[in-house]
Amino acid sequence: MKKGFSLLKYSLPLLGAAFLSATLFAAEETAPGVKGASEEEFTPAKEVLTVKYVQLDKPYHMDVESLKGAFKDANPVKVPLQKQDKAFPNGGGSVTGAEVKAIHDGITIYFQITWSDPTKNARSIAVQEFRDAVALMFPLGAVEITPAEHFSPRMGDREKPTNLWHWKADWEADLLVKGELEDVEVQYPNMHDDFNFNPYSAYYHRELITSVEVLSGGRAANNLLSQPGRGRTVEDLNAEGFGTLTTQDHQDVNGCSHYEDGVWTVIMYRSLITQDPHDVQFVPGGNAFYNMAVWNGGEQDRNGQKNISTQWHPATLEKVAWQ
Amino acid sequence: MTLVHNWHLGRRMEYPYFESRPKRQFAAIFNINRCIACQTCTMACKSAWTYNKGQEHMWWNNVETKPYGGYPQSWDVKTLKLIDNGENTWYTDEKDEKLSPYGVYEGDTIFEAAAKKNINQWAVGYIPEDKEWRSPNFGEDVAKSNKPDEYSSLPEHSRWFFYMQRLCNHCTYPGCLAACPRKAIYKRKEDGIVLIDQKRCRGYRKCVEQCPYKKPMFRGLTRVSEKCIACYPRIEGRDPLTKGRPMETRCMAACVGQIRLQGFLDDNPKNPVTWLIRHDKLALPLYPQFGTEPNIYYIPPRWAPRSYLRQMFGPGVDEAIDKFMVPSRERLAVMSLFRMAQSIIFEYKIEEGPKVFETTIHGKKFEMYNDTVIGYGEDGQEIVRTTIEEPIHIRDPKHYNSI
Ligand code: SF4
Ligand code: SF4
Repeated sequence: MKKGFSLLKYSLPLLGAAFLSATLFAAEETAPGVKGASEEEFTPAKEVLTVKYVQLDKPYHMDVESLKGAFKDANPVKVPLQKQDKAFPNGGGSVTGAEVKAIHDGITIYFQITWSDPTKNARSIAVQEFRDAVALMFPLGAVEITPAEHFSPRMGDREKPTNLWHWKADWEADLLVKGELEDVEVQYPNMHDDFNFNPYSAYYHRELITSVEVLSGGRAANNLLSQPGRGRTVEDLNAEGFGTLTTQDHQDVNGCSHYEDGVWTVIMYRSLITQDPHDVQFVPGGNAFYNMAVWNGGEQDRNGQKNISTQWHPATLEKVAWQ
Repeated sequence: MTLVHNWHLGRRMEYPYFESRPKRQFAAIFNINRCIACQTCTMACKSAWTYNKGQEHMWWNNVETKPYGGYPQSWDVKTLKLIDNGENTWYTDEKDEKLSPYGVYEGDTIFEAAAKKNINQWAVGYIPEDKEWRSPNFGEDVAKSNKPDEYSSLPEHSRWFFYMQRLCNHCTYPGCLAACPRKAIYKRKEDGIVLIDQKRCRGYRKCVEQCPYKKPMFRGLTRVSEKCIACYPRIEGRDPLTKGRPMETRCMAACVGQIRLQGFLDDNPKNPVTWLIRHDKLALPLYPQFGTEPNIYYIPPRWAPRSYLRQMFGPGVDEAIDKFMVPSRERLAVMSLFRMAQSIIFEYKIEEGPKVFETTIHGKKFEMYNDTVIGYGEDGQEIVRTTIEEPIHIRDPKHYNSI
């Protein structure tokens, strides 16, 4: 009798829950833990970003300061951001908006994004440390975003692939150090380690040193996040919905940043046209769509814990002077 | 969420993926009563897998002192708080050998607690900071004193501590795997080993956060997470020493105290690991209430307070300790296989021998027979043969001083 009671107590509500979630699944969810997009999310925003044509003498050293003048006459578009609340894990909400400007010179396209973030988080070495980051997303291929198209502004969908450019504050810091990867000693200067890289030292151990690569899982598996000497601050990726983000074999995007008085200014740039079929292509005089997300490392933002815009935004590229 | 059966809890529970059990499950039994915390297992793992740059803080295997020690510090107390352990109650009046051998757990698992709290992730958890990972046995040998003025005596010591040997539990329902938003963590169908794909991992640390046992670890050098790999090349028989036979892991094989027996949980009642866990119920899961169905099993220490042990190993504790203190003939034989071979034993056989000893333990009669126990490998070949009484070799006087 008592057992019957106990089994009932556990099976019925759980069965009920299963039934309920099965119905929800059929009606709305695309995957467990993921809520479907609403109609207004399939409708692009009204304000059009003009990608201004400028004649640009490419600076020898690409940095925010030397590109400042080129953005002077570009009109900014304000993109509202909010907490990511559809796919597990939910999160974000600390950054409520960003400003986007864009220019091109007939060869390269530049996007400048600014947002405020009171803490600069440019390292991801300690377990509790997360980086600041920003991403731009573009539908892959010649897609016209309309409500009927049902192209999800949240990472795209199956058969609706996207191209993403993901700038990371720690990648930028990596570029400035020898070997182009901030090592663990940067975070823990007094730590003990058994590695003596000086081949003339009495403690130099060749097998130990050569095993670093083999026994560094991420490096041995060719994970771009783990590689030293990436030579860039922006990762070029594709996605077809939540959880599908994949690093491209061919990296084409780069960027630079500046942090001052609690404001990040990040510029990402790439040539208008590339050879890579996984890349978005830009045509002067044509249209494009973009969406974006910002991660606040100080709030432990990463992956789905981010500040997102829930709509696609239209952009139009000015013609070049000779068109 | 789907409903899966968790036999540790004796009931179904919510989990993001369907129930899909491996062909056979990597498992091990640790006899806490014998551990001396020499950390040889810890160093065996370290010297094989985590001696490298950026892994300075990693101890995939560690031995910590209970109740105060922990790596990372206080990991279990912190996780228990997250599942509101006030409700850690079990209905034990009726049990089912297969489905609910310990009764039914009435509290929340890490998955159910997350759903109840509506925190929009699969399981409750937290990320221990770097300083919490500083030592594999922080708080070493610190005893708890219930009655400070008394000396300790069995059965339960009033001043006590014990050693807890830990590695990844290669859970049936891993919290780490559930947590990963990229499905970069997978559980192998052939042996149930749980691995992090080093190419797909993006260092989000959701596994570090939602593994209740805190066994995935972040590596600052590669900026992705790593965890115990169950020495899978050895399990696959790729170490030349065992000539293609599945071999026990580094941490198991190195155990000086002979507390460890590793094998696979399967349906064979004559498999020593399966017999001790499922049939004899001598070895118990660690914090079954977390709900991940962990696969490292422990013979609880007989001198520690039972209430503490029940919280740690569930309601099977009293029966397991009684059985350990007065072992049956078969139990004694199977326990003699601990650390007798490097190849994994898949089946045992007992050949009966004469009675050699008889006594009374806590009022119960104990008889010892010098039986022979034989262990067989995957291929049915004999791997090891041993007797209950270990053979004694007396050294020739002329060799007394030689080494
Ligand atoms: S112990 Fe932790 S890391 Fe290991 S399988 Fe279970 S949840 Fe994953
Ligand atoms: S099974 Fe292997 S990898 Fe895992 S803790 Fe033991 S020695 Fe380390």
